[in-house]
Amino acid sequence: MTSYNGPAQYGFAERWLPRLVLAPSFLLTLVFVYGFILWNGYLSFTTSRLLPNYEWAGLAQYTTLFANERWWVAVKNLFIFGSLFIGGAMAVGIFLAVLLDQKVRQEGALRTLYLYPMALSFIVTGTAWKWMLNPGLGLEKLVQDWGFTNFTFDWLVNPDMSIYTVVIAGIWQSSGFVMALFLAGLRGIDDSIIKAAQIDGASLPRIYWKIVLPALRPVFFSTLMILAHIAIKSFDLVMALTGGGPGFSSDVPATFMYSTAFTRGQMGVGAASAMMMLMTVAAIVVPYLYSELRGSRNG
Amino acid sequence: MGALAIKNVTKSFGDTHILKGIDIHIEAGEFLILVGPSGCGKSTLMNIIAGLEAPTTGEVHIGERIVNNVAPKDRDIAMVFQSYALYPTMNVRKNIAFGMETRGVPKKEQDEIIARVSKMLQIDHLLDRKPGQLSGGQRQRVAMGRALARDPKLFLFDEPLSNLDAKLRVEMRTEIKQLHHRLKTTIVYVTHDQIEAMTLGDKIAVMKDGIIQQFGSPEEIYERPSNLFVAGFIGSPSMNFVECHLAEQGGEYGVSLQSEGDARFVALPNGARLADRIGQKVILGVRPEQIEVAEEGEPGLACKVHLTEPTGPDTMIFTQVNGKEVVARVHPRAARHPGETMRLKLDMGKVVLFDPQTELRLV
Ligand SMILES: Nc1ncnc2c1ncn2[C@@H]1O[C@H](COP(=O)(O)OP(=O)(O)O)[C@@H](O)[C@H]1O
Ligand SMILES: [Mg+2]
Repeated sequence: MTSYNGPAQYGFAERWLPRLVLAPSFLLTLVFVYGFILWNGYLSFTTSRLLPNYEWAGLAQYTTLFANERWWVAVKNLFIFGSLFIGGAMAVGIFLAVLLDQKVRQEGALRTLYLYPMALSFIVTGTAWKWMLNPGLGLEKLVQDWGFTNFTFDWLVNPDMSIYTVVIAGIWQSSGFVMALFLAGLRGIDDSIIKAAQIDGASLPRIYWKIVLPALRPVFFSTLMILAHIAIKSFDLVMALTGGGPGFSSDVPATFMYSTAFTRGQMGVGAASAMMMLMTVAAIVVPYLYSELRGSRNG
Repeated sequence: MGALAIKNVTKSFGDTHILKGIDIHIEAGEFLILVGPSGCGKSTLMNIIAGLEAPTTGEVHIGERIVNNVAPKDRDIAMVFQSYALYPTMNVRKNIAFGMETRGVPKKEQDEIIARVSKMLQIDHLLDRKPGQLSGGQRQRVAMGRALARDPKLFLFDEPLSNLDAKLRVEMRTEIKQLHHRLKTTIVYVTHDQIEAMTLGDKIAVMKDGIIQQFGSPEEIYERPSNLFVAGFIGSPSMNFVECHLAEQGGEYGVSLQSEGDARFVALPNGARLADRIGQKVILGVRPEQIEVAEEGEPGLACKVHLTEPTGPDTMIFTQVNGKEVVARVHPRAARHPGETMRLKLDMGKVVLFDPQTELRLV
């Protein structure tokens, strides 16, 4: 009892003030994040349609969901978008970071330039790219006006290609952020390691490929985590750019969930799809958090 | 045969002039020390020798070649860095092998070299560990192993021992010296530690502010420092500097010294060379071990002991001459206690004189 050897005991106010200050946000998080997750989980097992009700339906909503072609298009799109977006943003970001690491003089200016897209909301990015990719307004019209009248770039209105426009806009938005993360990592690498490798005769690509980038493994995984969860949650970009269309060709689970639950009066199916997304995110994030926390406890 | 020649090398970063005309020449098998305070440009000069940076002007010769336009890997050099610069994701074996792989050394030969080098440095039991799992001393050995695997014409060491604790530093110093005796390779070794400089070097270049203050053998630099900076930088405890006036007394040239309560004129051997400076101020430099206890009947200056510092084999006596604190290194049995008086004499054959304005040595 008396062998307490932590920090000295302060007065009542010092001990309770921090908890008091944190309490409102703690409560709000508890109710609006975890409370609603639970509520949504419950709804997914009910017969809710236009409005929530609490009539137990077992797995019926999940059966409906898995029988829905539109859901599988959304899942496939998420897979295409997720892998291309993560791969593309990572590749472009790392490439830019390596270039900047070569001590480009205007680094400060360039870094800001590349980071600006990240400061925009996905809505703005989506809208801007919608104009640029609109066949009658943007890129296609521009190149045709230059005289290349055969040029077509109609991905935005082509059901087979529309998801790839989301990929392009997503990469544009996020690669600056990836670059910033990797640039910070590259700056942490001891200069003399690169000098030693030069004396060992390694070419610059080999130095990066064999020595520098492997040393940035932790940065790589953090970035992967962040991009993966951006990809799974992506909603606003798709909404602003294609609205899920043409048809439902560029739907992703988040837009599917929104339209099913709120515009098509199938709240139960929407809730079920939301649960599927939660499970996917959890499957990625929980092992990551677990390893991170364990790592930091070990030192 | 010359192993390394640096001819009038300068280096500027923009308007900052880091190296201001460096000239160095050493023979094959020599151990060259670059010593100087932090920030004086030692690493910059090292990087220029290695080809990691280009000199602004001047030439670097390794062996018979001008290497200004030769890439680091083709200069036939190996380098050990202060931070060791081990490749963090590779184990020790891969760290040593990396350069050989790049140069296309056959696998079998690589294995032989790794075995030989790791045995020589006693790191053969560490070959499968990553750098993060090694102690500072072990990392240091791996860094040396990586350099030795190359069998280069020139070894470059940039403060290799600075990150080790004192005991390990002394041990590794001895090992490096033995290694040099065995391999007889030319070594350029950067340090800011004057003891390392004195113990290891065949030749020492003392640098300050991008200029070589003196280049010579350790004995030359210790006994005939060319200026006040070199004199004060080399040697521990530092050389004592006493301001005095040159005078003539009874046909002899010398200086007068005052302690608290005593004063005497001491003659300089060969003092006649200074005849034209009679009456001028000079700085007398005398090392602590060049101050001895005067025997019974010998002339000596009675000095009051302020403080004593026993080091074991010797005792340092702190006293005052001409208003300046002076340290004498004496035998522990000859030392007196603080407050008492000791009669001291200077070894006038070894003292050096400096011009207070130019700070250069006079004789
Ligand atoms: N790339 C660089 N650009 C500008 N200044 C530099 C650069 N590299 C080194 N310096 C400067 O050159 C001086 C000498 O550095 P260095 O050679 O590392 O000193 P030392 O190794 O003797 O401690 C320092 O003042 C340092 O700030
Ligand atoms: Mg240095």
